Amino acid sequence: MCKCNCENSDLTLLEDVLNKYASVKGSLITILQKAQDIYGYLPVDVMYHIAAAVGTTPAEVMGVATFYTQFRLQPVGKYLIMLCQGTACHVDGSERIETAICEHLGIKDGETTQDGLFTLKNVACLGCCSLSPVMMINGETYGSLTPDKAISVLEELRKESTE
Amino acid sequence: MEMIKIKINSKECVGQKGQTILDIAKANGIEIPTLCHHESVKLYGACGICLVEGENMPKLMRACSTVASDGMVLYTDSERVKKVRAVALELLMSDHEGDCKGPCTLNCPAGTDCQGYVKQIALGNDREAVKIIKDKLPLPASIGRVCPHPCETACRRTKVEEPISIAYLKYFAADRVLADNPYIPQPEKSSGKSVAIIGGGPAGLTAAYFLALKGHAVKIYDTMPKMGGMLRYGIPEYRLPKKVLDAEIAEIASVGVEMINNVKIGADITLAQLREENCAVLVAIGAWKNTGLRCKGEELDGVMGGIEFLRHVALGEDAKIGNKVAVVGGGNTAMDACRTAVRLGAEKVYVIYRRTRDEMPAEKIEISEAMEEGVEFKFLTNPAEIIDENGKVTSVKLQVMELGEPDASGRRSPVAVEGKFETLEVDNVICAIGQKVNVAGFEEIELNRWGIISADEKYFTTSLEGVFAVGDATNKGASIAIDAIGEANKAASVIDGYLNGMDTPYVAPVLSKREPEDSYFEQFEKAERIKMPVRPAEERKHDFKEINLGFEEEKARAEAARCLECGCHDYADCKLIRYADRYRVDTCKLAGEKHQCFTEKRLEVIERDQGKCILCNLCVRACREDAKQGILGLVGRGFGTVIRPEFNKPETIHVCADCHKCVDVCPTGALKLLK
Amino acid sequence: MRIVIGEGSCGIAAGAHKVYEAIEKLGIKPDVTGCIGMCFLEPIVDIYGENGELVRRLVRVTAGDAEKIVTAVKNGELSLLDSITISADDSAFLEKQTRIALRNCGVIDPTDIDAYISRGGYSALGKVLKMTPEQVIDEIKISGLAGRGGAGFPTWFKWNAARQSVSDTKYLICNADEGDPGAFMDRAVIESDPHNLIEGMLIGAYAIGAKEAVVYVRAEYPLAIVRLEEAIRQAEEKGYLGENILGSGFSCHMRIKAGAGAFVCGEETALIESLEGKRGMPRLKPPFPAQRGYNDEPSNINNVETFANVAWIINNGGEAFAAMGTENSKGTKVFALTGKIRRGGLVEVPMGMTIRDIIYDIGGGIRGDRECKAVQLGGPSGGCIPSDKFDTLIDYKELAATGAIMGSGGMVVMDDTTCMVGMAKFFLDFTAKESCGKCVHCRIGTKRLLEILDRITKGEGKDGDIELLEELCVAVKDGALCGLGQTAPNPVLSTIRYFRDEYEAHINEKRCPTCECADLVTYYIEAEKCKGCTLCSKKCPVSAISGDVKQPHIIDMDKCIKCGQCKSVCRFDAVFVR
Repeated sequence: MCKCNCENSDLTLLEDVLNKYASVKGSLITILQKAQDIYGYLPVDVMYHIAAAVGTTPAEVMGVATFYTQFRLQPVGKYLIMLCQGTACHVDGSERIETAICEHLGIKDGETTQDGLFTLKNVACLGCCSLSPVMMINGETYGSLTPDKAISVLEELRKESTE
Repeated sequence: MEMIKIKINSKECVGQKGQTILDIAKANGIEIPTLCHHESVKLYGACGICLVEGENMPKLMRACSTVASDGMVLYTDSERVKKVRAVALELLMSDHEGDCKGPCTLNCPAGTDCQGYVKQIALGNDREAVKIIKDKLPLPASIGRVCPHPCETACRRTKVEEPISIAYLKYFAADRVLADNPYIPQPEKSSGKSVAIIGGGPAGLTAAYFLALKGHAVKIYDTMPKMGGMLRYGIPEYRLPKKVLDAEIAEIASVGVEMINNVKIGADITLAQLREENCAVLVAIGAWKNTGLRCKGEELDGVMGGIEFLRHVALGEDAKIGNKVAVVGGGNTAMDACRTAVRLGAEKVYVIYRRTRDEMPAEKIEISEAMEEGVEFKFLTNPAEIIDENGKVTSVKLQVMELGEPDASGRRSPVAVEGKFETLEVDNVICAIGQKVNVAGFEEIELNRWGIISADEKYFTTSLEGVFAVGDATNKGASIAIDAIGEANKAASVIDGYLNGMDTPYVAPVLSKREPEDSYFEQFEKAERIKMPVRPAEERKHDFKEINLGFEEEKARAEAARCLECGCHDYADCKLIRYADRYRVDTCKLAGEKHQCFTEKRLEVIERDQGKCILCNLCVRACREDAKQGILGLVGRGFGTVIRPEFNKPETIHVCADCHKCVDVCPTGALKLLK
Repeated sequence: MRIVIGEGSCGIAAGAHKVYEAIEKLGIKPDVTGCIGMCFLEPIVDIYGENGELVRRLVRVTAGDAEKIVTAVKNGELSLLDSITISADDSAFLEKQTRIALRNCGVIDPTDIDAYISRGGYSALGKVLKMTPEQVIDEIKISGLAGRGGAGFPTWFKWNAARQSVSDTKYLICNADEGDPGAFMDRAVIESDPHNLIEGMLIGAYAIGAKEAVVYVRAEYPLAIVRLEEAIRQAEEKGYLGENILGSGFSCHMRIKAGAGAFVCGEETALIESLEGKRGMPRLKPPFPAQRGYNDEPSNINNVETFANVAWIINNGGEAFAAMGTENSKGTKVFALTGKIRRGGLVEVPMGMTIRDIIYDIGGGIRGDRECKAVQLGGPSGGCIPSDKFDTLIDYKELAATGAIMGSGGMVVMDDTTCMVGMAKFFLDFTAKESCGKCVHCRIGTKRLLEILDRITKGEGKDGDIELLEELCVAVKDGALCGLGQTAPNPVLSTIRYFRDEYEAHINEKRCPTCECADLVTYYIEAEKCKGCTLCSKKCPVSAISGDVKQPHIIDMDKCIKCGQCKSVCRFDAVFVR
């Protein structure tokens, strides 16, 4: 039961996941990952539900959900821009890419554009160092970026989404 | 049970196999500090305060978790250990924000625990209140009446409406206890050491009181007929009835202080003699000389000093004033002098002050009361010349002034308006513009460039071995009584150390401070500050009877209850501040971004102060492991980690009232039980 | 002839799969392999002859090249492909390497277990199952294999400790939470040769007596997870995994646990906490995992590269492995060579090679022929080695003596445009963000180190800041609970050690010698060089540049945000920084 009335998620979507993992010791992270795949983020009522299902406290679930950067407590935009902050990307000017994206979209790291299209997230090394600087958007990697190139990628995507 | 032997700081310690270093140390009387460890919960190892160094071991070990092995050689106080602990504490203090002590206490030169005694007064425990006060000053009824109360200046209640009437509450409680059942602590057993104190004013009396309580034989020598110094001879009867002072001096005598009056150093007895006869000498002779006017005519008959004038009156001598009196100066002595002149029957009393009312250093209440009593204030004037007829003062010529640019102190300096003068017809000019030290008899002691005794700020020592000095006679010169009392208290403990062969300078405690946002004060309902009832001006100006009538009990309790209790409730038990003080950490050295400070009552019965949380996680663990509740949890990671009740929602929590295990284990004042 | 396309993450990111699709469309279904390590040349297409020999290596291939490739292969006219064939110079990249852990990477199809078996795969497992666990541990001891995750702890010792712990349940865990920014060796191994990892883990599990093995993989490696899942399925199918493996009576199950984004989980006790579904906060040691680890049972944790060496050691003998390297560092080490290097990628070299050899002989020197300043080893736990120390050998002790560490293998090359204070700040920014927040020294210490570095790079450094950094660094090393915190100060200490002058320039002269710190530089246009093409003014995001066409332009300092756009777009090199 949601104890805070702040969200109204369809908890039945979680049934399969919970049937499979709830009784397996130490599966909290896996369950949260699956829940995020389902809901796109981790709504509070879903976390309460998971806590009850695995027999732990909501505080524990919240603790785990806020510890790992993969988990999101807010919905994200249609396109999640993961901008690599690895060493190679840093050395090759990822900061300039970030400035350009922020200027262009009017958001900061962790924020979503008002139209719900883009979320920017700085992430740890994506491991494509030889293509640095790199960003990954919804699974697609874009390498050897320049500020211009990064912005044109975003504009491409914006066009795609309106078509 | 297999026993093992280890060495900690060269001490042989015996313990059981499987015990941790921390446990063995504790069992052998060696304290290893720790902030995140508690017997009731599992090991955690976060604070890094319990680190110890082992011989031939490259890494430091956490004493809380490292199981000792036979033959270990450990050091809990090596330089490396001290450094790493100090840095941990500096780091913690850099992200810890709370008021260890309230601004009232911090601003009191004597460090009186104002919040502590105000609280006791609110609760109706006057005797407990006096006990707290007397821990810092032995003259609460007297000081409560006359102190310009820097505590109230700092009081944060001002941001709601007006400060707590801290000083008068002290006077209220002290009077009641004095009348009822005086609080006189038991001195320690005799040390066999003796101290001579020169000067029986507030400083001398205070030092005598605290030294006597330490078991030392104390004698006060004073040149005047009675003890009390400026409290007796500088403050008029209508502000401080001498029977109140007498009673408090009697209390001081009763803890074993011998008091000898009418002794002039250099004439009746010499400093050398006192040094010879005693283990230590404390010079607390005050500043009894007037600063001259430095204008033409200041040597005339009818011109006198403020101090001198008040002393004559206090001694019952003829003050020789006429009908028209001008008092020069804007401080409390000037107010005392003009109001005394009124009471002596002068028809016209003026106060000549070169700035305006706003710049007057005197107490606001003193100024308005003087005005009520008919004193006329000549602001923005300064004596240019005192004019006489046959050597007798007839008038004073005043230079008209205006305010110029602010000076170093921020006050706007008065500037003469060229060619503009006025003349006042007067019989007397009393100048109360400053005091100087009369060092006759103390020529052996080194003076500073202003002719004042030079005393060390931490040791209160003078240039002579075994001779200490405090109060108005030293360093920066004349100040308020509570300043001298504060110094005397600190000096007493330094002298006590000296008498016991120890080097114990006064060091200010390491403290955490916080300045709440203005919005913090919006939560408090306004409650008017109590006013001291006074006798009507028309009645009081004719006599020397006390003008204050004292608080009614009910009103005093209500006034005390207005206190916002700014100081941390847990200061006495806070492990963080105790360790920070022990390792003398510099709280600003690693200053940087802090967690946001706020208090929350999300747990209904428990108040949590985020600014004081050091993330030792004890509350979370106690809630989960000991109380089996798991209501609290860590949220976020890294520097931004915070402890939060589940999902920030308090509604579900009702178990806390009975349990409060989290509050019990908290090493700081971050958690507070509300009921 | 066979067309083989390298489809590692890098290759795919560079467009390898688009090439694949284009070729497939033209009627030839190419084979797939993993990452050969020459990331700078991706996408790479290899053409193998009828006898299985490599006849052509095509580089930087685009989908547009597909037709040419298909025609060439169909007609046997490989000379058509000369323009996209690897140069002799770039081929040198592989020549000086010795590949053990990476021996199959970029050679076999990682999705096909038979490809692995055909290269001798799983024969070491067969051999081991006929040995006693003690014999296996002895062989590893002879090899001198040490943990490749960074600390370099002898592998046999850990195995032996776990072996000695008495319990019915033990766990073998593979740490594939490769988090050092600038390191991707482990990902390459899993993506390109997953069975090599599985086989190494099985040998380890047999040695310590574990029936359950877990691979903890970074969440950011989706392809690695997919490939490993498939490899586990295939290995189970073939009887290499599961109950009664190869009829030996030894059983072992393997599963994958995906991390959720926390660098600290690379620390073994934090990894265990995370495996248990908790916040990844390190535990106190002792007890060590070999005594009480995952689920409070004896556990052994090694990283991917360590396991990737095991099958080779069993097959070739510990002696052969120990024959490579130096007195106290045996075998080979894989590095991810990145930064301002001409030929960046994965490099496996025998221990004892010099840094200079790696950078110049394999990496081909510095990009743009600039001056090499230093190389950073070991990422946020490591340090930098200045160019005058490039004769240092790849050896645990030698590297440690320079203030750097072997680390997991990130090797970032920096030229004279890299600000070393900025570099230290970059790493501290990383560790401060990744600190779990448990212990005081790391939680607040790394934050304060970062703040001090930040103010230095902003020109707000104070006299005594270097000393303050040093003091704080020493205390954080001494006081932090786990490896992350204990090593976090290394990048600061090492840059202070070798580049103190850069710190002093920032603090005393408010100057960044490399002009990298935006707050300390100004951009300006040299009038003689400016042709007035207006490009910079068009590109400036804050409209800070003005000027008429064909007239020299001017930058308004008050508006300039120092993004460097103008400098990068100027075709006449008229924009300068000082």
